[in-house]
Amino acid sequence: MKKEDVDKFGKIQSQIEGLYNEIGLLSKKSPNDAINKFKLKFINQILAEANSILSVAYKPFDGFDLFQEDEVPSNSDVTMIFEQYINCMEKLRTDNISTKEFVNG
Amino acid sequence: MSIIRPRLTDFHNILVTQEEVDFAIPFIDEDIPLYVDPFLLWKSPSMQDNSLHLLITNSFNHLGYLFLNGNENEAIELLIRASECNEVGLGNSKTKFGKRIGKKFANEILSPFTSIPQIQKSGFVHLEETQLLVENFSKDRVSDIACNFIQSFLIDFTIEQAEKYGIPIEKVKLLNVYNSKTNKFDEEETHLPVNPDSKSPIIFVPKRWLKQIPWINTDDYFSNYYIQNIHREGDELPDKIKLLNFNRHNYDVVKAYASIKEKSFENCKNDPLFNQIPVTSAKRKFTTITKLPTGKTDNADRKFEDNVCQLVTSLVYPHLDFAQEQSRTESGVQIRDLIFYNNKSSDFLKEIYETYNCKQIVMELKNVREVKQEHILQLNRYLKEQFGNFGIIITRNPPPPKVIKNIIDLWSAHRKCILVLDDADLKQMTLVFESKQRNPIEIIKKKYIEFTRACPS
Repeated sequence: MKKEDVDKFGKIQSQIEGLYNEIGLLSKKSPNDAINKFKLKFINQILAEANSILSVAYKPFDGFDLFQEDEVPSNSDVTMIFEQYINCMEKLRTDNISTKEFVNG
Repeated sequence: MSIIRPRLTDFHNILVTQEEVDFAIPFIDEDIPLYVDPFLLWKSPSMQDNSLHLLITNSFNHLGYLFLNGNENEAIELLIRASECNEVGLGNSKTKFGKRIGKKFANEILSPFTSIPQIQKSGFVHLEETQLLVENFSKDRVSDIACNFIQSFLIDFTIEQAEKYGIPIEKVKLLNVYNSKTNKFDEEETHLPVNPDSKSPIIFVPKRWLKQIPWINTDDYFSNYYIQNIHREGDELPDKIKLLNFNRHNYDVVKAYASIKEKSFENCKNDPLFNQIPVTSAKRKFTTITKLPTGKTDNADRKFEDNVCQLVTSLVYPHLDFAQEQSRTESGVQIRDLIFYNNKSSDFLKEIYETYNCKQIVMELKNVREVKQEHILQLNRYLKEQFGNFGIIITRNPPPPKVIKNIIDLWSAHRKCILVLDDADLKQMTLVFESKQRNPIEIIKKKYIEFTRACPS
């Protein structure tokens, strides 16, 4: 990963976690209630960026890219998907951790 | 094409919802069950409405002036002509034609001008007070007299609105147009929309003036003013005649009541043509539905239909105007439907209008544990004419796979679309109705999209 990818990754990861916490609260209160179009626009924007950084290898589901407005996704739908993205992003992060060995002398 | 409970706009294929127009859309076969309340014109912030109220009061007081100054016959004649206004089509009539009052009753209506000194001297401020003084002077007379005195304005309003929405107008001759300059009724030739069946002229009324019961009315006066302020405990309650006599002999009491009503004018609001149930009531109705058993045990089917009717009509408003609830019998089974006007008010409704030729949407109610093929066929047989090829079944549980296959086959063979809404869909519709995050009609759209995806391409 290049430095700019790492920066982008950090930004998206924190945004997804922020939204996960926010929608998670709504989901606990009312899991079947629908997400409004305003929120959905930004959720999809972040998912699109996450998809670009995760690539096919790390994307949680082959058949899922974005939420469809007409499908009226619920709070629990969004929470479930975000949880998967958080896990996959964590997997991408750990796979890119490397150590350098320094030999004394 | 036989539209159920047709409105003028539906007849001319003008697709507007009641919510978006300023006037009450007239029905073709029946009256609008609301009345013009002159108090709404009095309290309106618009100076135009206030001056029209003044015109109504002045015109009515002019009758009193004629009555007091030896022109009783002219006053009575004018009042008789003012007593019915069929063109506006307000009230509870199923025929759209009301009857004028007789000479004797006209004489009674004008009698307060001679018997009550305050009215003799200053006339009325609110024409509706007459309800508290004259027996059988009801809200429909108040409304019709008001409409007749301002008919000239209403004609202009109607022409303006007809032009705005493209409602066809025709040359008509009106025989009863009040001229406020000469204080007489004249004949007038003008252009107005006409009833397609009877060819009689139609006049629109601004919906901001309409109420079910006038703000000043006898029942309110009796229970909220007379009993609380005038009636002494232990005394016998007066019957209607005695109460009216009391009012005529104590006009100050009526004036005091009217002035209290004037002071609380902010609570006086026009009544909408359709009343959406509040959120708490919607939730309660949904809970009742979910607790009902399927089938007919303890009239569960009837209760299911009643609750769904009230719930769904509110959930889909204002996107779908409710036309009628109707029952039909097929193969000895009674079936209850909800019928809505489709005014293409959203992209989804536009699509089903154009793709399935659906001018009115039918929703069939089925309190059964499992939707069966025969239920689909029952609705299918009904899908013709104004319903086009689109219908909805509201039931308790998702349909079994074989029924889903049957619905898809119906689309493949005849291009008919039948959606099945169950308790889970009603739950989501009620949830979004409460949270306002999405429109409940979008849940029906979601079902439609699921249906189209399941259809073979």
